[in-house]
Amino acid sequence: MKWVSVLLLILISSFSFLMISNEKEFDNSTFEFGEYCTYEGIIMENPYPRILIERPGDTGSLPKYSQYYLTQFGKFGGGEMVKGLDGKKVSLEGALIYRDDQTMIEIKNNSVNHDHTSENERVFNFDSALPKKSLGIHTLKGEIVDSKCFYGVMNPGNLKVHKACAINCIRGGMPPVFVVKDQQGNIGYYLLQDEEGGAVNKNILDKIAEPLEIKGEVVKQGNILILKANPTSYRNI
Amino acid sequence: MSHSYQAVGWNRQKKIYDLVILIGVFLYIGIFMGIGSTLFPNATAETLMIRAFGTGAFVLLHIILLIGPLSRRFPSLFPLLYNRRHLGVTMFLMALVHGAFSIIQFHAFGDLNPIISVFVSNGEYNSLTQFPFQALGFLALMILFVMAATSHDFWLANLTAPVWKALHMLVYVAYALICIHVVLGVFQSGVSSVYHAMLGVGFAMIVGSHIIAGLQEKEKDKELNSDKNEEGYIKVCKVSEIPEKCAHIATLTGERVAVFNFDGKIAALSNVCQHQNGPLGEGKIVDGYVTCPWHGFQYRPEDGASPEPFTEKVPTFKVKVIDDVVWVHPTPNPPGTHQEPVVVEKK
Ligand code: HEM
Ligand code: FES
Repeated sequence: MKWVSVLLLILISSFSFLMISNEKEFDNSTFEFGEYCTYEGIIMENPYPRILIERPGDTGSLPKYSQYYLTQFGKFGGGEMVKGLDGKKVSLEGALIYRDDQTMIEIKNNSVNHDHTSENERVFNFDSALPKKSLGIHTLKGEIVDSKCFYGVMNPGNLKVHKACAINCIRGGMPPVFVVKDQQGNIGYYLLQDEEGGAVNKNILDKIAEPLEIKGEVVKQGNILILKANPTSYRNI
Repeated sequence: MSHSYQAVGWNRQKKIYDLVILIGVFLYIGIFMGIGSTLFPNATAETLMIRAFGTGAFVLLHIILLIGPLSRRFPSLFPLLYNRRHLGVTMFLMALVHGAFSIIQFHAFGDLNPIISVFVSNGEYNSLTQFPFQALGFLALMILFVMAATSHDFWLANLTAPVWKALHMLVYVAYALICIHVVLGVFQSGVSSVYHAMLGVGFAMIVGSHIIAGLQEKEKDKELNSDKNEEGYIKVCKVSEIPEKCAHIATLTGERVAVFNFDGKIAALSNVCQHQNGPLGEGKIVDGYVTCPWHGFQYRPEDGASPEPFTEKVPTFKVKVIDDVVWVHPTPNPPGTHQEPVVVEKK
């Protein structure tokens, strides 16, 4: 009896090891959950809310501003929290989410501060601060992810296991990103917009986490690549 | 219910089983998450937790479904069968942790009610590869919940045995739902082929063992109508073929009868225990009572009645012994009817 029990427990342990050791490798992504820092920068509300933070000193070939997508707690983009602040200077507290060179901030509740002095009320000129440059029409193969989970809040944050969650997040206003892997496994990140540069969230809910081909214009704005195409032209492959 | 004879050894054993189950669960989850976070530092704790409990519950479900057919083959496994109920409840609780964490992780803190989100966030019910697999897991979890909640004897008595049994046959529906949940879920995200192989083997073992057990039952059920004497008695077997204090099971006009040999006497009872339809003929005579191998309900061989204060009764059958051959009349006496056991003449 005693030995049968011990044998059983050894079997269970070995089986558990067998199960976990055959998992596939998990990608590197980070969410600094609960570690709040203060960020100061300019809000860009459309089409997806971001904060632009000036890089210190001479930036050389790098863009003058680094860009962080904004989100709030849960499956919502940060739009509600920065409403009406387009082009305004704010300070906010938040936790960082990042993967490769892609960054996002989860804003802490009630931490967005906007100082109504006259200097701050001057509306910012995005086109001169972050000029857009067209890189031409391209056809890309990849998968639509919700940036928050894929950049670090969940791991894995893509493919079938994560599909329902990604749909919830994108419906809630999270910036949708088209993820394109090359042969070496390097990832290209393309922020999805329609042909007029508007948000596409509501029009792509049935296309998320599926193998897709998208043909559209690629535009570079600072360190962000944008893929502009009509969502009805996205093709399942 | 008659538990008197097993009060000492049996309860101690039962406690050991429960302890082994508990330690087993802790080991499985602990190793899965501990080794997992070392081998895969990028994986989030939530993902490891969801996978540890999901796979743990699924493996346990395989074990539970295998115990039935296997213990037919290997009677030494019967003790596991008694404890299947606790295994079942443990499995449900593990599946519940898996499901609850998945619902929180993937469906809560959004603009929909999390339960509704399980069914509608991904609406691609007409696609195979994109099918909302979590909805299937949810349905399976509901079935497991109903089973766990009604596993107590109170429900068996109140729902009546046939209803209860039908309810608990739903476990096969749940098993099928979970297999599809895994194949259309995590398998669509590209997993190691080791998992494909394991599910294949598990599924084959369950289907295979049930088919084999079913065939054996059929074999046993071959009716013994060939040798019928003029009074309607049917020839069953030789006395010497029945081990002392054990039974031979025969099927007479559709009903299984357990023919016991004890203390130089032969008595025949229905093979079906009043508790959960356990096979009385696979039990033994303990302290003068026919004792069900599943949970130890007891019946007097003379009249099929449980000893006071219990009230369960099974039908008895008329027996004759002629030249060392046992003949049984296929018409059952009403449950609890006294039927004097036949004394076998010593040669
Ligand atoms: C409310 C009910 C359920 C929900 C919402 C649910 C959700 C999920 C999700 C999201 C995954 C993929 C997780 C991942 O790998 O990242 C998964 C996988 C899995 N589920 Fe469920 N599930 C439910 C019920 C069940 C039940 C009842 C069982 C079996 C006892 C089960 C067994 C599994 C197994 C074995 C896997 C594959 C391993 C894994 O990926 O975790 N699930 N489930
Ligand atoms: S004692 Fe439970 S089935 Fe017989």
